[in-house]
Amino acid sequence: MIQLTIDGQEITVPAGTMIVDAAAKLGIDIPIYCYHQALGPLGACRMCLVEVEKMPKLATACTTAVSEGMVVRSKGPAVDKGRRGVLEFLLINHPLDCPVCDKGGECYLQDYTFEYGPGNGRFQEPKIQKLKDGPINEFVLVDQERCVLCQRCVRFMGEYVGEGQLLLEGRGVETVVTTVDHVPATSQFTGNVIDLCPVGALLSAPYHHKGRPWNIEREESVCPHCPVGCTSKVTAREGRVIRMEGRPIPDREWGWLCDRGRFGYDFGYHPDRLLTSWVQGVETSAAMATRQVGQWIQETINQDGGSAVGVIMGGTHTTEEAYQVQRFAREVIGTENLAISRSEAGYLPRALNGTFDDIKKADMVLLLGSDPYDAVPVVHLKLRERWLRYSALKVIGIGPTRLTRDTLPGQDVITAPEQSAAVMALALATQRPEDANVKTLLQALGDFSPSGVSPETLTELGVQLLGAEHLVSLWDGMDPAMGMVLAVLAELREKPTPILPTFGPANWRGWERAGFSAHFEDLTRILEHARDGIIKTLLVFGADLMNEYPDRALVQAAFDRLDHVVVEGVQPPEDSPQVDALLPGATWAEVYGTYINMEARLQVAMASVQPPGQARPVKTYVNTWAHILSHPLAWEEDWEPFDEDSGELLPLHPAPLHVTPLKVPAAIDGDMILITGALIWEMSEPSEILLPRIPALPGRINPEDAKNLGLDIHGGRMRVSQGETSLVTGMSLDPRVPKGLLWLPQRMPGVNTLQPGPIVLSLAKEEVTA
Amino acid sequence: MLDGVKALIKGLGVTSKALFEPRDTISYPEKRREYSPRFRGKHMLAKDTDGHELCVGCGLCEAVCPAHAIRVVAASAPEGNPVSWTNRYSVDYEVDLIRCIFCGMCEEACPTNAVRLTPFNELAASNRLDMIADKEELLHPPVRK
Repeated sequence: MIQLTIDGQEITVPAGTMIVDAAAKLGIDIPIYCYHQALGPLGACRMCLVEVEKMPKLATACTTAVSEGMVVRSKGPAVDKGRRGVLEFLLINHPLDCPVCDKGGECYLQDYTFEYGPGNGRFQEPKIQKLKDGPINEFVLVDQERCVLCQRCVRFMGEYVGEGQLLLEGRGVETVVTTVDHVPATSQFTGNVIDLCPVGALLSAPYHHKGRPWNIEREESVCPHCPVGCTSKVTAREGRVIRMEGRPIPDREWGWLCDRGRFGYDFGYHPDRLLTSWVQGVETSAAMATRQVGQWIQETINQDGGSAVGVIMGGTHTTEEAYQVQRFAREVIGTENLAISRSEAGYLPRALNGTFDDIKKADMVLLLGSDPYDAVPVVHLKLRERWLRYSALKVIGIGPTRLTRDTLPGQDVITAPEQSAAVMALALATQRPEDANVKTLLQALGDFSPSGVSPETLTELGVQLLGAEHLVSLWDGMDPAMGMVLAVLAELREKPTPILPTFGPANWRGWERAGFSAHFEDLTRILEHARDGIIKTLLVFGADLMNEYPDRALVQAAFDRLDHVVVEGVQPPEDSPQVDALLPGATWAEVYGTYINMEARLQVAMASVQPPGQARPVKTYVNTWAHILSHPLAWEEDWEPFDEDSGELLPLHPAPLHVTPLKVPAAIDGDMILITGALIWEMSEPSEILLPRIPALPGRINPEDAKNLGLDIHGGRMRVSQGETSLVTGMSLDPRVPKGLLWLPQRMPGVNTLQPGPIVLSLAKEEVTA
Repeated sequence: MLDGVKALIKGLGVTSKALFEPRDTISYPEKRREYSPRFRGKHMLAKDTDGHELCVGCGLCEAVCPAHAIRVVAASAPEGNPVSWTNRYSVDYEVDLIRCIFCGMCEEACPTNAVRLTPFNELAASNRLDMIADKEELLHPPVRK
């Protein structure tokens, strides 16, 4: 620890701290443009000049580390003169654009010029003209005239994200920020440069010329699209959401968002949004529709009892909304058929759940079928940040495809589809063959040997699994057996073994907290009972079962058999004539509520706008039905998902370990095998802003296979057939997918008509449309 | 009684004297008073010599307005049809003349000198909605007779 004096106040900070951070701890504001704690010191803008005793000239506070007994002055004539000079230089070529600049009013160049700058400049020559409102990509605009060349954006994309798609081009005053080769940036994280830019050089294209800091309302919120639950701010103007920004939280979050979350806020304004109620294909008033549904529930209860009603939760509903539905279902209807719309069969007990803090301490990261860049992009950034700070970080991907990337390098253990759990169990057995749990796991495996994984790899994996000090696993939840192996692993290792579930829906942990079952088996049971006629009425909240449930045929059969299917949601489900009533629901920005993310952290999202049209919160429907069923619910006490003992994290409940023998993975025969995985662009509600970036070729196929099948090197459309069903989709070439496999995003419409397994691929003929 | 007659004559004297004095009132609306050149009446939005609107929709008038009487909605200029002199223009510009206190701060804050307060002061209307001046109305300011 080092003691120093800043402006007469003494402070003790750890060695290596920069003066600017030490000053911030004292509440002394030193102006900065180029410095960002996540990116480290650079000293490009010279804005943070301070006076340090015994230093001959002014020093930059962001690149000067503290030293014992240092005396720093952040104010005074010398500092003022230095800052005035720096600002005069910065403003030489800066256009007088503030009235038309989106940053006007929240711009650091304005603020610091006002506070520290000269009243006017002495530079008389005409300002240099550069590109204005040029594109970085579909979402980000660049105004090169306004740039102060702090390089935050370039360093973020190059060093932090690792996809160097931005660069400084030119020399001297002609230097501009642009994309490499002037092609649009394709990274998932480009939107963050808008938040990072201290001036108005990088702007959000959808927000362009839409608002001003004084006529917008900002509310703290949580991104509802994936289980990461990034902290964000929603900007609304005149009752309309117009922007999402990251919300940094000291010592926890930098406020990064992925482009899918940052620009996907407009799903509430999608032209297809459900704004009126429909009963049996006829548009009707909200009151009529709600009453009709209430009568159906009443009829079902009278004829077959409450247990003939099933309730399924999905979409972007908050924990409180799930609680309200749960109370209605249990107290008024009297049913225990409550499930969450899941796409994966796995389940992770709370006791094994890790937090993002674990990533900051990890020395080994295990990617179990989950590619964080595709599934949970901001976790990819967190992992990369750990790798940047701790270069000995071991990353091991275990799954049917390569899961590590150039931006998160590591080692890959490529297993045959559905053999990952067995590989993990066998790896454990190489080290602890005598352990009872491991023995149980292996009981039924016999002399099974995984294809493509050598015994040496298994031994090495086993040593690493048990030797790692802090092992963080990211699990895609596809294979329930893997959940069991992970529980055994956590039991075997005496050191921390946190697991982060990357599967959705975004708020599944919250709905589980509210009283819904997150187990896939319960969802399947409800659908099977519906198919068999045991359940007569199904209430679906927010979920698009037809696309979310992995087996579309079962959902279809269930919907065909059900007497009444009631769907509440933001988007009408695609092509489902069996839906008897469609009720418009409120989106995440229209209700206050709590989201619980993949680290079991409770985060509050405020309501920013009013629901449009007939859309209304779940509570309204539930209350009306409760009245119709003559069992009004009293809501005197507000239920809190928070727990006094646990704080922000859900309380830990020890989960008993039930180990059952692993089944021998069935051998899958076929030239081409379909596997599915999470892709953030295909998940959650559709957005119009995102359309240009939704991958046109979402399928991934090995280049060799593509060559054999006659697919163009740039990809193209192919027909995927499996028995009677087939699907035409775009394919791109990806060497990360091994030969003989086809990867498709699990939530892409139509993918769940196929089952993972053997398929036949053929080139799709160009369909001639009149 | 004499006192009464005296008072009556005195009163009539004042009245008849006033008959020949210059009048304090004018016969509005045929005749109108001369106002100070700095008089602040109804707003207008100015255009430049090429016919482009000066207003860029920056919203500073909205921010500075102490009565919250102004609403500005801006947008990017449509392709090939620059409404204003730059790439941003105001789609909506509304002044609520009931709220307005005619302080002139909007005029002072305007960086492009687009919003100006004209001497026009005949603001009566029979309907509250008519008292909200929209952009079209502000672009065609009435002339004070």
